[in-house]
Amino acid sequence: MSPAAGGFLDRVSGRVKLTGWLSLAAPLLAILFAAVITAVVLLITGNAPFATFALMAEYGVQPRSLVLTLNFATTYYLAGLAVAIGFRMNLFNIGVDGQYRLAALLAAAVGGTVALPGPLLIVVVVLVGVLVGALWAGIVGLLKATRGVSEVISSIMLNAIATGVGAWLLTPALLAVPVAGSNNIGTRPIPESAHFPGFALIPGTTVKVFGFIVVAILMGIAYHVLLTRTVFGFDLRATGRSESAAVASGVNVKKMVLATMLISGAVAGMVGMPQLLGASYSYSLDFPAGLGFTGIAIALLGRNHPVGIAVGALLWSFLDNSSNILDLEGIPKEIVIIMQGTIVLSVIVAYELVHRYRMAAEQRRVSRELTGGTGGSGGAGGTATPEGAVSR
Amino acid sequence: MREAAISIPTEVVAQPAVELEGITKRFPGVVANRDIRLMVRRGHVHAIVGENGAGKSTLMKILYGMQRPDEGVIKINGDPVAFRSPEGAITAGIGMVHQHFMLADNLTVLENVVLGSEPRKGGIAIDFRAARKKIKEISDAYGLGIEPDMLVEELGVGARQRVEILKVLFRGARILILDEPTAVLVPQEVEELFDNLRVLVGQGLTIIFISHKLDEVLSVADAITVIRRGETVAEVDPSAVTARQLAELMVGSELPSPETRDSTVTDVVALSVEGLTVRAPDGRAAVDQVAFTIHKGEVLGIAGVEGNGQAELVEAIMGMRPADGTIHLADADISSWSTLRRREGGIGYIPEDRHRHGLLLEAPLWENRILGHQTRRPNAKGPWIDRAGARGDTERIAREYDVRTPGIDVDAAALSGGNQQKLIVGREMSGDPVVLIASHPTRGVDVGAQAAIWDHLRAARADGLAVLLVSADLDELIGLSDTLKVILRGRIVADVDPSAVTPEQLGSAMTGAGEES
Amino acid sequence: MLRNRVGRMAAGVLAGAMVTVGVAACGGDSTTATPAEGGSSAAAPTGAKVGLAYDIGGRGDQSFNDSAAAGLDKAKSELKLPDPRELTASPGETEAQKEERLRLLATSGYNPVVAVGFAYSGPVKKVAAEFPDVKFAIVDDAAATGPNISNLVFAEHEGSFLVGAAAALKSTKNNVGFVGGVQVPLIQKFEAGFAAGAKAVNKDITIQSKYLSQPPEFTGFNDPAKGKTVAEGMIDAGADVVYHAAGGSGSGVFEAAKAGKAQAIGVDADQALTADAAVKDVVMTSMLKKLDVAVYDFLKSFAAGTVKPGTTVYDLKVAGVDYSVTGGKVDDIKDKLEEYKQKIVSGEIKVPETTS
Repeated sequence: MSPAAGGFLDRVSGRVKLTGWLSLAAPLLAILFAAVITAVVLLITGNAPFATFALMAEYGVQPRSLVLTLNFATTYYLAGLAVAIGFRMNLFNIGVDGQYRLAALLAAAVGGTVALPGPLLIVVVVLVGVLVGALWAGIVGLLKATRGVSEVISSIMLNAIATGVGAWLLTPALLAVPVAGSNNIGTRPIPESAHFPGFALIPGTTVKVFGFIVVAILMGIAYHVLLTRTVFGFDLRATGRSESAAVASGVNVKKMVLATMLISGAVAGMVGMPQLLGASYSYSLDFPAGLGFTGIAIALLGRNHPVGIAVGALLWSFLDNSSNILDLEGIPKEIVIIMQGTIVLSVIVAYELVHRYRMAAEQRRVSRELTGGTGGSGGAGGTATPEGAVSR
Repeated sequence: MREAAISIPTEVVAQPAVELEGITKRFPGVVANRDIRLMVRRGHVHAIVGENGAGKSTLMKILYGMQRPDEGVIKINGDPVAFRSPEGAITAGIGMVHQHFMLADNLTVLENVVLGSEPRKGGIAIDFRAARKKIKEISDAYGLGIEPDMLVEELGVGARQRVEILKVLFRGARILILDEPTAVLVPQEVEELFDNLRVLVGQGLTIIFISHKLDEVLSVADAITVIRRGETVAEVDPSAVTARQLAELMVGSELPSPETRDSTVTDVVALSVEGLTVRAPDGRAAVDQVAFTIHKGEVLGIAGVEGNGQAELVEAIMGMRPADGTIHLADADISSWSTLRRREGGIGYIPEDRHRHGLLLEAPLWENRILGHQTRRPNAKGPWIDRAGARGDTERIAREYDVRTPGIDVDAAALSGGNQQKLIVGREMSGDPVVLIASHPTRGVDVGAQAAIWDHLRAARADGLAVLLVSADLDELIGLSDTLKVILRGRIVADVDPSAVTPEQLGSAMTGAGEES
Repeated sequence: MLRNRVGRMAAGVLAGAMVTVGVAACGGDSTTATPAEGGSSAAAPTGAKVGLAYDIGGRGDQSFNDSAAAGLDKAKSELKLPDPRELTASPGETEAQKEERLRLLATSGYNPVVAVGFAYSGPVKKVAAEFPDVKFAIVDDAAATGPNISNLVFAEHEGSFLVGAAAALKSTKNNVGFVGGVQVPLIQKFEAGFAAGAKAVNKDITIQSKYLSQPPEFTGFNDPAKGKTVAEGMIDAGADVVYHAAGGSGSGVFEAAKAGKAQAIGVDADQALTADAAVKDVVMTSMLKKLDVAVYDFLKSFAAGTVKPGTTVYDLKVAGVDYSVTGGKVDDIKDKLEEYKQKIVSGEIKVPETTS
């Protein structure tokens, strides 16, 4: 018994150690690799890599930059969560982009027209966003559950439709109000009483951190609790890990597809809220677009883990934020995009390599144990054919 | 080593075409091949027989270069080789005809044959003229009767199989591996195939024929090797052996038959099925008007050659597959119930493929304890997962069912097959089942785990559990079952008394060839 | 060189950012005489250190960012300014990033700061308030107001009216087309003027209008292939003169006109001069939106110390918008066009700014 137990412990402690070490090493290596690639690009374009990185870092730690980084990260985090919920059950919700844009537009319109006391109005605006996002994503879920339409295709299509619907709604005839002298056009501004208060979190600057950061953190906790502590989350993860096993265990996969898309869309509906309730107070032509795609990258970067996504969002936001200072110094700010792209790619590659390495290592370990330990494991579990054990 | 095989053209007539010595292949948790020895003479049809899961496929994958053995030597025409990929095997003159055809329907025979091995004109253009000529030559030489310009979709199953054979001959194969070639054929086509095979060996080719249809094997093979549980158990001459003897060799007789003759069958009906019909996607009835009743304390065994509707039957009862007919659990009509509701109603399920249907391989054991029981205590309290409850109960299962693991936070993938299966059995027994659907409950597990699982099934039966047992292990079926039914092409074709039947008789009944019991 | 730049950066910008007011004051106090000693120690020519923030696309977009760049280049050579700093917006960014861009320019001692595009409206208003001694100009927006903000806006509808009239006068099939880049109010102004001009000539003329993309998708300003497809469709449907207000997509419109034996009208710059040689000859006239003039005027008045806050409208009256006559293709109708121009200048014709 004892040699077998030793083998087990050896294997498992090895495995755990391996996992722990590698799970940390993989993203770090990926970022390092991305930095190397970026350095090469910088050298080719005639810029000094270290000075550039130093510049980015120096700019990044200024109080104002820190606030901006936190503020963008709040938005990115919500987008990452929305995508990650789908990812956890192998659903690729590319439609987060359309979902949050439509949700923000309609929420902003409601916020600008409905007369309610401030805090209540905030709740209503957020609810409208959540509802619109969920419904828009629900179409994708419904199509997949009832007709087997790939969520990738339908959500891309719905992004385009959301753009069209948005352009149609954002006209003076419907939801928009023209501003005198401006070529911009937007929804009626949300009254000041319903502006989400910010925090003066970072000393040394008057710029406030979005109050919505608290909501984002709460959403991260809710995401974690939902996935790991509820039956629904268990079903969702089981479906993502093995659909066949989930079906056999009694999970109604179609229902799960619909529910997951609804939740993913609901979170997507919140993506525009930090900006809407914390900064622009109206949905206009220059409302930030494309956050849904950023969310995909960040969910990948964070491996769908609530803390990982937060780190990814902060990193992404920091990089985005540093593009202005690079531009000011005449360094091509596209460097930032190159860096973001290589980080995502190398994270994916690094994890794949680590995964394969783990599988191979485990297989080797099991082989070793079987040759060395089968005879020894005697006991109740293995009256294994003796001649097999002694054969070469 | 592979270089040597290609470069030395030693022509020794007496050399066997294929020789395997001491081939051993391990997968995590299971040894698929152990010390396999095999000698195939040139110009022979050499059959390899064994039950499903005996290790035939793994062995052939090793020979065809798709997997590498952990130990052992492969010799082709006397020269040792080590294939790294099928390309190496093809170069050495080995071809494989897979059970499932790998042909593109909307291309012609010619295009299918040249696909992947296009003869080039000047290195660029495909030389169709040369290819067509060569196909005609091969077809004529071996009497295959193939027209190169026919579309594959216009061909019948038998002709498609001949195209597959032609494809490997086109690539210069002298040793052909046929993996269960008759599984998809009707009897007349089987005869035609055998005629073709005789022509091929008559011209000096060598054929390795994998099957578990013993009558066919006896009619076509020149030599037979029997594999059981990953080991070669016998090399027999087909003219000196009967189908019964062969079945005995395949099934083996060294395992202790579980002695459970004192009946615990009650007259309380636990599960009854009437007129159950499951349609395959092509409209054919995979399960055809099946009816049976299982009482409390009864084990109903379903015997049959793999692929005769057992999997569909089980999935229909579990509600994973749409079916016509009615299913009653005690008095309740559960035909329209969801899988979840059926499980909650007291049906336990040991799936045939534990990796696909039974486990989340990349999840820890305690989460696997929850799988299939996620709405019930001790795993859940309302909408919340009860982590403490689930973990505690997983510890209990590991203890009571002897799941050998250092802890419950280990991923299921890290356990051996036997321990995975014991976890599943423990889990399903812990749900207080009224009925247990056990599909190949001891497949691919070591002998110790098998005995333990049988013990658990027997104990539960004594406590009044009704069991539907589907298995390919005839000893298991005969030893455990109180009632035994034979399924063939989706229909129940015979009722067998397990106390009076031998594995050979059962084997004959399963293939539809033997006498009725 | 890089070391130098980074050194300057560290010394100038970072230090500047920490003592924002000081640097800004330093750059802004003396507008004309001894301008902008900010953080720069370079032996630059005396004159204003101009900071310019483009919208998405930046210099080289062959559209309105380039027009602004042309004005800057002209000012630089004629007023002997030191090297200006030009920054560009990224797609999908928020107002906070635009704000930060302007703020960086201001803290780094750039004065004046020119923002190109209406999207800078909010940011300019905010940052201008923080830097009262820095002069700001914003193009295409009159909503951001302040004592140190000059708003440079154009009467695109008036210029478009004239080319609309030209199109109607030249059309033999009584069918003209309008290709808009992105469906935003600014471009709808072009459409409204164009339609009004065409209708003024011929009440029953058919006007086809299409936009290449809708916000937030701004690709319509830089999608020649789509411009070509849409223009081809209009020509197939009977149009023989097509006007585009689609920035870089215009080259596709010209190609379609060339292939379909139709005529085209350019926008912003005199495209009979700037378009690709192969298609120049289809450009019968262009609606000139003299962004370069506006930017140059602003920088010149800055140098002269005569910057006026508030809105300056570049309309027909001051020739801020106009039609071009390069190639002589509208010489035969020039009298009619001048007549319309006079009526607009005199107020006899009021050109609508919005469609219907």
